[in-house]
Amino acid sequence: MHMSITDSVKLDLYRAMVRIRTFENGIRTLMNEGKIGHVSFYTGGEAVAAAVSAHLVKEDQIGSTHRPMGHLVAKGADLKKMMAEIAAKSTGTNKGKGGAYHIFDKEVGALGANGIVGGSVPMTAGYALRNQIKKTDNIAISYFGEGASNQGGVQETLNLAACWKLPMVFVCENSSPEEQTMLGHKIDYPQLSISDISLRAPAYGMSGGSGNGWEVEKVYKIAGEAVERARKGDGPTLLEFKIHRLNADEDSEYCPIKCYRDKLMMENVLTEELDEKIRSEEAAEVKEAMDYAMGSPEPEPIEAFDDIFVEGN
Amino acid sequence: MARTITYAEAICEAQRDALRNDPDVILFGENVAAPWRPSTKGLKDEFGKERVRDAPITETAFIGAGVGAAIAGMKPIVELMLIDFGLVAMDQILNQMAKTTYMTGGNINVPMVMRAIYGARGGGAATHSECLYGVYAHMPGMKIVVPSNPYDAKGLLATAIKDKNPVVVFEHSRLTNMKGEVPEESYEIPFGVANLVREGSDVTVVAVGKMVNEAARAADELKDKVSVEVIDPRTLVPLDEEAILRSVQKTGRLVVVDEDYERCGFSAEVAAIVAEKGFHNLKAPVARVANPNVPLPFNKELEKQILPDTEKIIRAIKNVVK
Repeated sequence: MHMSITDSVKLDLYRAMVRIRTFENGIRTLMNEGKIGHVSFYTGGEAVAAAVSAHLVKEDQIGSTHRPMGHLVAKGADLKKMMAEIAAKSTGTNKGKGGAYHIFDKEVGALGANGIVGGSVPMTAGYALRNQIKKTDNIAISYFGEGASNQGGVQETLNLAACWKLPMVFVCENSSPEEQTMLGHKIDYPQLSISDISLRAPAYGMSGGSGNGWEVEKVYKIAGEAVERARKGDGPTLLEFKIHRLNADEDSEYCPIKCYRDKLMMENVLTEELDEKIRSEEAAEVKEAMDYAMGSPEPEPIEAFDDIFVEGN
Repeated sequence: MARTITYAEAICEAQRDALRNDPDVILFGENVAAPWRPSTKGLKDEFGKERVRDAPITETAFIGAGVGAAIAGMKPIVELMLIDFGLVAMDQILNQMAKTTYMTGGNINVPMVMRAIYGARGGGAATHSECLYGVYAHMPGMKIVVPSNPYDAKGLLATAIKDKNPVVVFEHSRLTNMKGEVPEESYEIPFGVANLVREGSDVTVVAVGKMVNEAARAADELKDKVSVEVIDPRTLVPLDEEAILRSVQKTGRLVVVDEDYERCGFSAEVAAIVAEKGFHNLKAPVARVANPNVPLPFNKELEKQILPDTEKIIRAIKNVVK
């Protein structure tokens, strides 16, 4: 399928990546100031979340991971409420009871970061099941990492999704593309005995594909085909994108923002002035979210006892 | 109008009513579309294979899909063939189904029912015979329902399906064919309201599920010697503590009968509640008749050694009233 990408889409993709990085850098600032606790970062994966989400509408759902910021931000989750949740405040998406690993913003279909590796994947099949039974053309995206790809629940869900022809796309972000590591440690025994996780797709009877996760337009094209397949009712797809976990700066050759900035400058789609404008606008939004989080009240102690069940029929 | 039907037929009726009245209700699990299974019989024919669907033998995937479907706005009934098989899916059950409401500050709710067959079937051995409601009741966030008869099964399941929270319904394998009077029309039995099965004044027996019937038999056999009150809490979460405490206030004696493991289980919970809140009413130590922490053996004679039954309940009652 040939898909040309308009300048406006290109700039949206770029802005979405900048927004994710800026949001996470805002978290870093608060962490370094000792104002919030530890968060697991998504930095380096921005192209995947930005490009996948570019194909989604609000009513589509995503299931995410313990590194959820990119997925949630790209899906349109409320930055203020997210930052407040990360700061454990009562105004957070989860009223300060879940933290960064468990952010849900149901208004935009961001149905869950998840503290258990692979934990959201079976649930995401449930979002897709709802879409199928309700005969909508909505789809669900299940994000997970290369470690989760081996979890039993993920393998089971690939099979279930194929058997039930669920309208969903599995998006694996493989952050150990060259040598296999676990939390930075070079592991003696590999987690994976195959080069591409999408090689498992045909074994489950579904389509699949792999690509570089730092090239946003490539991700956009590959994801676009999978999303369209799901929307048409032609079943799920297993995609894998290789990424590198990075830090705040944009100096790496694998930094999706740097790669795209250079490309868009060459194409004259982006100028220094426009880049400056995008970055300052995003920085202002993130600053607003940080101020909101820091200015928000702590939950009342009595709230610890609430919300085990919801009331009423 | 009431007629006599089985426990499994009562369960089927509650599901049929819900599927008829609410398009968001769906049912899936292993073999739920099979025409011979009494608790789901005829449902696929009436509602179609989309809403009543067979799932592959992957409990983690299909229970998780139930959790997700519930979060996304459906009201799934997920059938687990045996409660023992839920042990392979504990992340989706305990971490996801049970905790999501609290962890999202109540912004997300999980209106899901998980139905499962439980209990000793006679020679099932320890992976096809367990109760495990103690494990489930231990984790906050799930309501736990253990119906002891066809009438309760229909009414409690109807309530479970309407509940906005995760509910686990434990259906005893040996009660499947139990017959009882059940109204044709739909009705609901509220959670947290115990059923007074036998009224008495000498000793309170609290029992759940199949053990309610064993306890009632014990009460009937003793009726000329001991006045036994039998209470069926019907739901472990929420638990009708009031009914238990009120009864113990009257009788001064308590026997808890539980097919589940004794250690840290339901029988321990009831004993602890009475020790904390009704201690001064007790005329004798609390007695428990429960599985003495043994995986159920395959051999039926060995199994009998471990399981609570009418005879053991009678012995315990005689002991606390002497």
